[in-house]
Amino acid sequence: MPVVELSYSSLQKLVGKVTKKQISDSLPFLGLDVESEDKDLVRIEYSPNRPDYSTDFGIALGLQGLLGIKTGAIKLNIKKSNKYRISVKPSVSKIRPFVTGIVAKNGKIDDKIIKQLMVMQEDLHFGIGRKRKKSSIGIHDLDKITFPLVYTTTNRNHKFVPLNSDTEMSISEILNTVYVGKEYGSILGSSSQVPLILDANQKTVSFPPIINANITTVTTKTKNLFVEVTGIHKEDAEDMLSVIATILQSAGFTLENVQISGSKNSSPKFEPKKISINPDLANQTLGLDLSTSKIISSLKKSRLNAVSKGKNILCTIPAYRFDIFGPMDLVEEIALGYGIQNLEPTFSPSQTIGRINPVSNKLKSLDQIMIGLGYLEALNSSLTSKRVLYDMTGRNPSKILSVLDSKSQEHTILRNSILPGLLENLSRNIHESYPQKLFETGSVFSLDDPISEKINFSGISAHKDANFTEIKSILQSALKIGFGTDLETKTSSDSLFEEGRCATVIVNNAPLGVIGEINSKVIENYKIQSKVVGFEISLSDFLFKSS
Amino acid sequence: MSQVFHDIEKKIISSLKDNPKQTPELLEKSTKLSPDQIRRGIEWLKLKELAIVDESKTSIISLGKNGIESFQKGLPERRLLNLLKDGPRKLSELQKELGYIFGPAIGLARKNNWVQTSSEEISLQNLPSELPGEKTLKQIGANQIPLNEIDKNDLLGLLKRPDFIIEDVITTKEITLTDSAKLLEISNSSGAIDVEAKVPQVFVARTHPLKDTIDEIREIFVTLGFSEIIGNMTQSSFWNFDALFTPQDHPARELQDTFYLDGVSAKKIANSEQIKKVSESHKKNWRYHWDINEARKMVLRTHTTCVTIKHLAENKPDEARVFSLGRVFRNEKVSYKHLVEFNQIEGVVVGKDATLRNLMGIQREFYKRIGITKIKFWPTFFPYTEPSLQTMVYNERLGKWIELFGMGIFRPEVTKPLGISKSVLAWGGGIERIAMLKYELDDVREFYNNNLNWLRSATKCQ
Repeated sequence: MPVVELSYSSLQKLVGKVTKKQISDSLPFLGLDVESEDKDLVRIEYSPNRPDYSTDFGIALGLQGLLGIKTGAIKLNIKKSNKYRISVKPSVSKIRPFVTGIVAKNGKIDDKIIKQLMVMQEDLHFGIGRKRKKSSIGIHDLDKITFPLVYTTTNRNHKFVPLNSDTEMSISEILNTVYVGKEYGSILGSSSQVPLILDANQKTVSFPPIINANITTVTTKTKNLFVEVTGIHKEDAEDMLSVIATILQSAGFTLENVQISGSKNSSPKFEPKKISINPDLANQTLGLDLSTSKIISSLKKSRLNAVSKGKNILCTIPAYRFDIFGPMDLVEEIALGYGIQNLEPTFSPSQTIGRINPVSNKLKSLDQIMIGLGYLEALNSSLTSKRVLYDMTGRNPSKILSVLDSKSQEHTILRNSILPGLLENLSRNIHESYPQKLFETGSVFSLDDPISEKINFSGISAHKDANFTEIKSILQSALKIGFGTDLETKTSSDSLFEEGRCATVIVNNAPLGVIGEINSKVIENYKIQSKVVGFEISLSDFLFKSS
Repeated sequence: MSQVFHDIEKKIISSLKDNPKQTPELLEKSTKLSPDQIRRGIEWLKLKELAIVDESKTSIISLGKNGIESFQKGLPERRLLNLLKDGPRKLSELQKELGYIFGPAIGLARKNNWVQTSSEEISLQNLPSELPGEKTLKQIGANQIPLNEIDKNDLLGLLKRPDFIIEDVITTKEITLTDSAKLLEISNSSGAIDVEAKVPQVFVARTHPLKDTIDEIREIFVTLGFSEIIGNMTQSSFWNFDALFTPQDHPARELQDTFYLDGVSAKKIANSEQIKKVSESHKKNWRYHWDINEARKMVLRTHTTCVTIKHLAENKPDEARVFSLGRVFRNEKVSYKHLVEFNQIEGVVVGKDATLRNLMGIQREFYKRIGITKIKFWPTFFPYTEPSLQTMVYNERLGKWIELFGMGIFRPEVTKPLGISKSVLAWGGGIERIAMLKYELDDVREFYNNNLNWLRSATKCQ
């Protein structure tokens, strides 16, 4: 989840009459987790579905609502203007078809707001922009650009001075050498043409979705901003722009519209969504009995507009709240406006009768038997390593089930056997007193249309007199007491076991697993100073037979 | 009445019959028993009125630092007199040779008229064969001597000198047999053993502490009327993500968070109606190209919700309380607070009780049963529930609020495409977190280290 660092004093200034404590008490009830606090600074984790909370302006709007200081929806005031136009060439339609934009004037631009805008931009890129693939933003110094602009395409030899550089580079060079180029270049695929925004003087403004031109860099000397969003869906691009527009207006900028024409594009409207909700849905879902007016005031506290219309409530949702899909989302807004802390938990005893799954029940009984036989239960990960499953034990690797890109060396393949893990456990406990007797039941995996998961049962005994008879008696007793079955052992060989001291376990004429004295080489590999005997069988036949 | 005696008692009695009055130290030597065994044996015999313990306090003296030096090298005044045996000496020379003892030595020698001094020289006047204190120094030496054995007059001078004599009081015990004990016939055969002796630790076989917590949680849900469902750990992306309204281009679905099985795809993931409806919901709400091949990719389940939603999609109950419990996987760096594989409990309620307040009530009841009473609810976000909450519980040991279960009501975008018409409450969370609170662990890896020392000693009955 994204994190943003804010200051209490600036939040206080933005929210209005409010104490620091009121703010810190209220933040969690907006759905914001306070990660850490250091005097005036507070680090807040917010949900990726609320990018408007990536700046203190957005959080201040939420706090004002929750605390009842200002309620109802934020209205975007956009001055109609003919000065700012972008025309879209048909050539972009196959690459990145849509562009939209807004102009923001006369705001106070200092280091703090530049930093906040950059953080918001990155979060928007990562979240709803799907790492710039769906949509991406460019924020520019308006006064460095001559309108009208054209959104077009160019070939990869096109040159301009990109952001944070003082020399001209070609598109290819940018994609091959600049960090953002290498990181996001794949979005453009292998097409020879790439998107480009040019101004009236043919100067490059932006190379979406990769990088802006250096000339339009926003600094503390910048007075007015031009924001463009490009993308593969018009709606997504406008959603993203509406978040930025809302935040810029809250930050004190005056907005002016940008006219867009050509190739299925049109000027952004920032039109609020209207969704109607039946109060009964809210009350039934929340377990409350709120009046229509209470519901309306709760929605307003969540910074939405709502009016009663017949039996229903008609809700107006500002464009930047695109996380609201339908009435159920409004129920949550009602709950938040009402205050989660005001929801008293209720408990109605169940009319249903609970039941443990028969498989869990049988496994639990088997645990009891093994404990009775003096075995301690071990738990190992089912995601393990080639080292444990094969290298240390000399087992034959066949059809390994690996996961992709594991961050941990010790967790790269799914186990097809439990016994190697128990041996690994013994090796980590060679300094503890003997005898050491362990057992484990758990899932093992194998490839089979697509994957079969079975429950295996394994036991291991290590002490100086450990022998075949001992371990066979244990397994025999466990199966007899647990499942009422007898077992046979037929001579076999297995690299994990000592030659001549290994057998296949057979129950009802079917091979079920293996038992024997562990190969002395394996014991040596693990530096275990004792004899070790063990078994592993499949339990699935017993467990699923009558369940 | 015949009496049964412990071997320790028998040895002490026999020794005292041979040598009727002994200190515990002597008894240790004569019986070859340990000090602890002698202590206990004497205690038993005293209680049985077979032995008498006489305690006496004795004042004793021993030599201090300066006393010992004088014992070894002679008293300062003796050393001075010795140097004068061959004739008068210069004061300055003697001062050099004797160092810091010169002062006290010359003082005493003058006072007793053993020497004569001029302005520069010193000469012997008379030489006593034994100086005051010399007898006592010799008598004490390196030992502790009872005060009453010492010549008080000779001691007096030494007592006044710094660090010569240390005075102390010691308690001595002497053990004698009572008359009845003296008459006892001690046979060598008796059945008594040292019941108070230390014994070796044996280790109990037991279920894994984490398993105990899992079982406890399972039983709590069963008593709350929930039935357990189980399902596979390997799942198609369809059930793990798509069915739960997580778009295919969502960051949570990337390799860096989720374990994808290398080269494994499911041929059959769901029925055609389910696939059609789910993909339509994605296309409509998320605006992207939904790809069935993406949905076929097999993953290690990132939550047990995939098991629950599959169960609901298959059974479409009007009323139900079910839970699933098992291992889930996240592609994380293993650390003291993160594992790649851990256990999760997840429950759902379908039907008329499905309100958010009831969902909160079930949580509160559950936490109460595992001993957590200080809880609060905060709003949060999950892609497949709306509204969504999280529980914060207060941990006294750590002195802070900890996030535990997440919960919510399945979004209509999740339930409708799968033909589930009733509201579904859902909640879930990691079990290891609860077990960590219970076993007061700060490192979650401990549960899977299978460290025998811990497994053998973690408190079972909590």
